Amino acid sequence: MPSISHLTEEFFRTLPFFWKPLLLTFELTVASVIVGSIIGLFVALLKVSKFKLGQIIANVYIMVIRGTPLIVQIFVLYFGFYKMIDLGQFWSAALALAIHSGAYIAEIFRGSIQSIDKGQMEAGLSLGMSSSQTMRRIILPQAMKRSIPPLGNQFILSLKESSLAAFIAMDELFSLARRLSAETFDEMTYFLIVALYYLVIVMIFTYVVHRMEKRLAKGDV
Amino acid sequence: MEDKQVMIRVQNLKKSFGQVEVLKDVTLEVAKGEVVVLIGASGSGKSTLIRCINFLEIKNGGDILIEGKSIDPKKDDLTKVRQKVGMVFQHFNLFPHKTVLENVMEAPLIAKKADKEQTKQEALQLLQKVGLSEKADVYPSSLSGGQKQRVAIARSLAMKPEIMLFDEPTSALDPELVGEVLETMKQLAQDGMTMIIVTHEMGFAKEVADWVAFMNQGKIVEMARPEEIFNNPKEERTREFLNRVL
Repeated sequence: MPSISHLTEEFFRTLPFFWKPLLLTFELTVASVIVGSIIGLFVALLKVSKFKLGQIIANVYIMVIRGTPLIVQIFVLYFGFYKMIDLGQFWSAALALAIHSGAYIAEIFRGSIQSIDKGQMEAGLSLGMSSSQTMRRIILPQAMKRSIPPLGNQFILSLKESSLAAFIAMDELFSLARRLSAETFDEMTYFLIVALYYLVIVMIFTYVVHRMEKRLAKGDV
Repeated sequence: MEDKQVMIRVQNLKKSFGQVEVLKDVTLEVAKGEVVVLIGASGSGKSTLIRCINFLEIKNGGDILIEGKSIDPKKDDLTKVRQKVGMVFQHFNLFPHKTVLENVMEAPLIAKKADKEQTKQEALQLLQKVGLSEKADVYPSSLSGGQKQRVAIARSLAMKPEIMLFDEPTSALDPELVGEVLETMKQLAQDGMTMIIVTHEMGFAKEVADWVAFMNQGKIVEMARPEEIFNNPKEERTREFLNRVL
C-alpha cells in the first residue's frame, strides 16, 4: 500500500496529465447520456404506445442490451461501426455507451410515464387535446421530473462505464492510469488516484442532481 | 311546444369490462339547455355512461349521437367531439406542473391554437366567474379541493363546450367545500349549459335538474322530472334507493 505522502506527491505531479483525459471522460459521459436519453425517450414512447411492432422493437432492443456485457457491446459497436462507417474513435465509443445506457434510460422514462396518474391523460383528452399533445405537454413534463433522480444515477453509471472506453484506445481517465502504472510499475498509486478522480466527479454530480430535484419540486402535490 | 334540439342521444348503449356488463341497453336523450342528473348506487353504471359519452370508454354496442351525428370512435376525430363536450372529474385532474391560469389556457392554446393574449383574457374572465381571480398564478397544490374543482370547471369551459359532463364532482370534497362547487354548477345551468351530472347530492338534483334518471344495474330504470322522482317514484327500486339515501 503506497503511503499517503507518496500518493499526495504523485497526485500533484500527475495533475497536469490528468486534465485532458478528465475532459475526455466528461465529454464521453455527457455525449453518451444526451444521446442515450434521446434513444431512451424514443424507446420508452414506443413501449407505452399502442403500436405493436414498435413495442416489439423496443423490447428486443432492451433485452439484447441488458442481456449482454457492456464491454462486448463496445467492441461490437466499435469494430462494427469502424468497418461500416468511420465515426471516429470518440463517436464510436460515445455511441456504444449511448446505445447501452439508452436501454436503461428507456426503462426509467417508461416507469415515470406510467407512474403519472391516468387522470392526467383523461383530462387532456376530455379537453379536446390529442393523445400526443397530452403526452408532450402534460405527461412528459411531469414524468421527466420524476425521472431526474434515477437519471442522475444512470449518469453516474455512465461516467464509470466510460472507463471501458480505455479498451478501445481512448485516452480517458482510466486509460491514463493504466499507462502510468505500466510505465512505473506503481499500479496501486495510480489506480487509487484515478479512483479519487471518479469519486470526486460523482460527488459533485450527486450534489448538482440533488439541487435540481429541490428546484423542480415546485408545484408538487 | 317548440321543437327541442337534441344535443345528446344515447341509443341502446352497451359496455362491458371483461365479463362484467356495466351498461345494458341504455337509452337517453338530452335536449339543449337541459340538466340531467344521474343518480343510483355505486356500480350502477352512471360514471361509465358519461365516460362513454366523452369516449374515454369505448362502447361495445349501441350508438352515441352528439348533435344528431353518430360518432364512430374509430373513424371520427374524437378531439373535435370532445371540444364540444367538456368533462369534470371527481379527482379534478388538474395539471400540477402548471399554474391555475396555465391550466385554463392550455387546451385552447394547444388544441385550438388560439391566440395567446385573447385566451389569457378569456381565462381570466372564467376564473373570475368561478371566483378564483386571485389564484391565477398559484399552482394547484396550494388550492383547497373546492377551489381545485372550480378551476377544473373553468378549464373545461375555456374550450367553450356546448355540453358539460360532471362525474361525481363533489364526491372527493370535504363537506364544507361542496356548496361552492354546486353553486358554480348552478350558475352554469342558469346560463343555459347542457349538462349531465352524476352526483349523490340529492338536494342539488331536486333544485337544478330538469330530469333525474335513476340507474340500477346498468340500466336507466326511471327518468322523470325531479319532483316526480323524489315525491312519487314509479319504480320500486327507485323508491328503495331513495329511502336509503334521503
